[in-house]
Amino acid sequence: MSRVKEVFPYPFLGLLAMLPLFFIVVIKFGIMGYAGIPLDAGTILIASILIGVGVDYSIHFLGRVISEMKTGCNIHEASLIATRAAGYAIIINAVTLIFLNNYSRYTRMGEKKKINKDFCADDETFSLCVLLFKVGKKAMVILGGSTLSIKEDLPKQIIEALGDKGIDPQVIEFSMASDLTLNGEFGETWLLATKEKIYIVREESDNFVIEEVLFTDIERIRPENMIGSAMIVIGKGEDDRILVCYTSALARKFSIAVKVLEKLRKGEEVNEEDLLDKDFERNCPKCGTLYPNLNRKVCPKCLDRRSIFRRVLSFVPRYRSQIILILLCMLASSAMKLLGPFLSGRILFDEVLTEGGKYEGQVGKIVLIIFGSQLLSLLISIAYGRINAVMTAHVIFDLKSQVFGAMQRLSLSFFTNKETGWMMTRVNSDSNQLQRFFNNGFPYFIVNIVNLIGIAFILFSMDWFLTLLILLPAPLVIYIVRKIYPRLWSIFSRQFRRNSALNSLINDSLAGVRVVKAFGKEDIEVARFEKRNDDLFDISMEAGHMSSTIFPLVSFLMGLGALIIWAVGGWQVINETMTFGTLITFVGYMGLFYGPIEFMTHIVDWWSSCMNAAQRIFEILDSEPDVIEAPDAVSMSSLNGEVEIKDMTFGYEKTKPVLYDINLHVKPGEMIGLVGHSGAGKSTMINLIARLYDVDSGSISIDGVDVRKISMKDLRSQIGIVLQETYLFNGSIAENIAYARPDCKRDDIIRAAKVANAHDFIMKLPDGYDTVIGRRGMNLSGGERQRLAIARAILHDPKILILDEATASVDTETERQIQEALERLVKGRTTFAIAHRLSTLRNADRLFVLEKGKNVELGTHEELLKAKGTYFNLIKIQREGMKIKGIEG
Amino acid sequence: MEIGEDKKTQIDIDEQGELEEAVTEGLAEYVDVVYLEPAKTSFYRTPGGVIALKLEDKTYPRVNLHRAFPFSLGDKYISVREGSGQEIGIITDLDDFDEKARGILKEELERRYFTPEILCINSVKSEFGYSYWEVETDRGHRRFTVKGRGDSVIPIDEVRYLIMDMDGNRFEISDIRKLDRKSKKYLEGMI
Repeated sequence: MSRVKEVFPYPFLGLLAMLPLFFIVVIKFGIMGYAGIPLDAGTILIASILIGVGVDYSIHFLGRVISEMKTGCNIHEASLIATRAAGYAIIINAVTLIFLNNYSRYTRMGEKKKINKDFCADDETFSLCVLLFKVGKKAMVILGGSTLSIKEDLPKQIIEALGDKGIDPQVIEFSMASDLTLNGEFGETWLLATKEKIYIVREESDNFVIEEVLFTDIERIRPENMIGSAMIVIGKGEDDRILVCYTSALARKFSIAVKVLEKLRKGEEVNEEDLLDKDFERNCPKCGTLYPNLNRKVCPKCLDRRSIFRRVLSFVPRYRSQIILILLCMLASSAMKLLGPFLSGRILFDEVLTEGGKYEGQVGKIVLIIFGSQLLSLLISIAYGRINAVMTAHVIFDLKSQVFGAMQRLSLSFFTNKETGWMMTRVNSDSNQLQRFFNNGFPYFIVNIVNLIGIAFILFSMDWFLTLLILLPAPLVIYIVRKIYPRLWSIFSRQFRRNSALNSLINDSLAGVRVVKAFGKEDIEVARFEKRNDDLFDISMEAGHMSSTIFPLVSFLMGLGALIIWAVGGWQVINETMTFGTLITFVGYMGLFYGPIEFMTHIVDWWSSCMNAAQRIFEILDSEPDVIEAPDAVSMSSLNGEVEIKDMTFGYEKTKPVLYDINLHVKPGEMIGLVGHSGAGKSTMINLIARLYDVDSGSISIDGVDVRKISMKDLRSQIGIVLQETYLFNGSIAENIAYARPDCKRDDIIRAAKVANAHDFIMKLPDGYDTVIGRRGMNLSGGERQRLAIARAILHDPKILILDEATASVDTETERQIQEALERLVKGRTTFAIAHRLSTLRNADRLFVLEKGKNVELGTHEELLKAKGTYFNLIKIQREGMKIKGIEG
Repeated sequence: MEIGEDKKTQIDIDEQGELEEAVTEGLAEYVDVVYLEPAKTSFYRTPGGVIALKLEDKTYPRVNLHRAFPFSLGDKYISVREGSGQEIGIITDLDDFDEKARGILKEELERRYFTPEILCINSVKSEFGYSYWEVETDRGHRRFTVKGRGDSVIPIDEVRYLIMDMDGNRFEISDIRKLDRKSKKYLEGMI
């Protein structure tokens, strides 16, 4: 990074040198423009050369920054600077171009128009600008890192050193600098390659040592990751040789280097695709800021907060009346607040208690008025609170159900790409934040502004000099709020973190209490607890010290304003240039003044975090499901269950297929066992048949109709899934069984449970079918859960059944019961089963064997055993596994 | 049942982190822990820069060293593995070896566990969930970027901290008490 900074002076010097030339042209343009003389070709030529030089220079400059940042230390920061620099350089060039082009046009036409008039208006200039900006954008993308340069600019000394050795720098195909020396110090080592050789150039006591390796002496090139750094190792036979070491910061760059070197070794051409580094796009292409969340490429800096704000406001009409009421209440209460000091100060002292006042002696009347205003203020705040409460409930309800609804609508891929925790936060905390925006932030913002202006207006109109005086401590207060409060918050958040660490320890040791007791390690637990408790104690002390210093200090500083009023105002009262009432009024308003100021200092943070929350919510609301119902979807209320898969290819990422060219025809009622190693694509096939994803090419059809053409509702009602991980919802057993048909009869539930061999264990539970799962330690065993899932599927009564068989070990009796239940379930349905159990494999009509996403075998158990292929080997391994366990398969 | 045995050896580590060999000796019939005796081994560096091992009359042209306890006992219990990953044996203590072998082994460990030590923190700037650090390490000036707050600065014990940047580089602060006031303040803001 420091190196990047060092480069900076050079381009500036260069620009400086260009300056006189630039001025000459501008002056010439100016004179000619003023005189209305059309520009001559020569001047335009000079101008375009100048622009050319400018562009070249900026590109050269960028090149230097790139090469520096590659050898330099922090690639992220360097790329940030470089991207910004590129942006500036290109914008400067574009502006210059617009300027010149406009000028030449107008002068050519012989018109004495001012330059800024109709600036950039004509098409020609505009398209030129667009072009330039495009170039700029491309430069930024390159800098953002979609492709890497494999020829980094060599330092002069190295070129000289190469020359001394008789190596022509022109034949070098590849050059890259690392940031470590071979003995693990920070420093530069260069890796160069021609078509025949690899050179390693390293610095040794101010000299460059060049070593060379012939490609013919290399059998393998591979990167080896270590901890915190990595190296490229080449090898021939048994011998390994370390080529270059680099820190993890350069790991991406060198992984591409390995690809390139491998191609050079094989004598192949290096094409652009090899240099593509998709993961590299970690910076926002506009401003270079790193994306806070790499899965979600949204730049917090370039986020268009205003358009989000407009969209947030579009929620407002729904609550228009409430918001207006809230605003009115707030304004009314702040008017009351503003009235207070005026009544109790100016009116009471100057007009009532002072001789010759307007209402002299009418104490009772004025106190009554004050009382009345306070009463009114009370009523208003009660009204405000009530309206607010109603609205809070409404907003939260609407937002949460919208977000949750949007989530449910989305395809599975949305969920697999994101963490559950992330989505929980979206539903809960972001909607809370938006709600706060609606019924606190937004109205408060307006009211505070009104208050601030109101108070300032009143104060200034009463005595501008005194007002200026009381504003003196304001900058200090703002400074403290901006600078010292954040430190306080950081201490508080540390306190919070340590507190949760302590809680998690308590939780941990209570949950593991059996282990603790069994090992007799109570003392250790107590010691661990004390250690964390100590930490918490320390930070709590610190927080206490700091907050008990800062808060009084702030109120003291705010009080200083009052002191100034007392001093200056008191002096003025004695000199009778000010009434006593005015003084009291001033002091009253002082107390109201700093609250809004403090609020305003937070407004920026609050605003941006609010808009971020809104943005995340909109992201969910806007997400389009990948799997959508075709507009011409047909309704198929009953199916035969014939499934045909034709030339199907699919990958979760389009470039990486998981399944290739799958073909399968399944007759109605047939049972297909899907067999293969884990990762072979079995679950993916199931996901596709259930249309949780759509195929990339080829098709899946049921009864001759493409699944994409069948209405989603009918499709889902005809396909049932029994998953390996049985998910039971919070609710009673009956509700769980009847999940697919909530309105079915109780008889149906019992019958389904009986078929699934679940009835007996359910009846043994004290609460029978009404047993609520998950409550009061009510937990079912794996075998029981599976049977519930089977019952659920039986009640669902699908024509096509998908079984993801559990591998969970259950006792023999349970196993038999599950097996029996499954056999009953499967009868008469087209079934796809991911088979692990040998018994299922035997029962299946045909077995579909997958290997690395391809169908390698298809046939009955016996046929495949005879074929002695993949399936045979799988069975052999399984049998051996069982022998070790002592269970003969 | 190999897995069970592994767990047992883990529990046998007492509070000082030393292995009590006596407890697990009886398990020798199930698992074989090969200890490399200094007398029978010779480590040397090949011309290619990798470490080779001659063990009695067998030669391994390329071995890798893995620390079993990289944080607590960096120079003890080092697993020596073939290029393919197969364990050849364990070095109990580097100090048992003569100076030359120790030098080579230490150098290799330093390279493999590349962890510059932070001597002084010049600045830490936080923005949008990343913090940008500028530090002086024992191997020179360095800038790096750390993602998040609490997760990337890992306390090893009361005074030692490990910092992982977003590329996976590691930096160490061996004793927070030895840092100057400013550095300490920066660090405290991040933990």
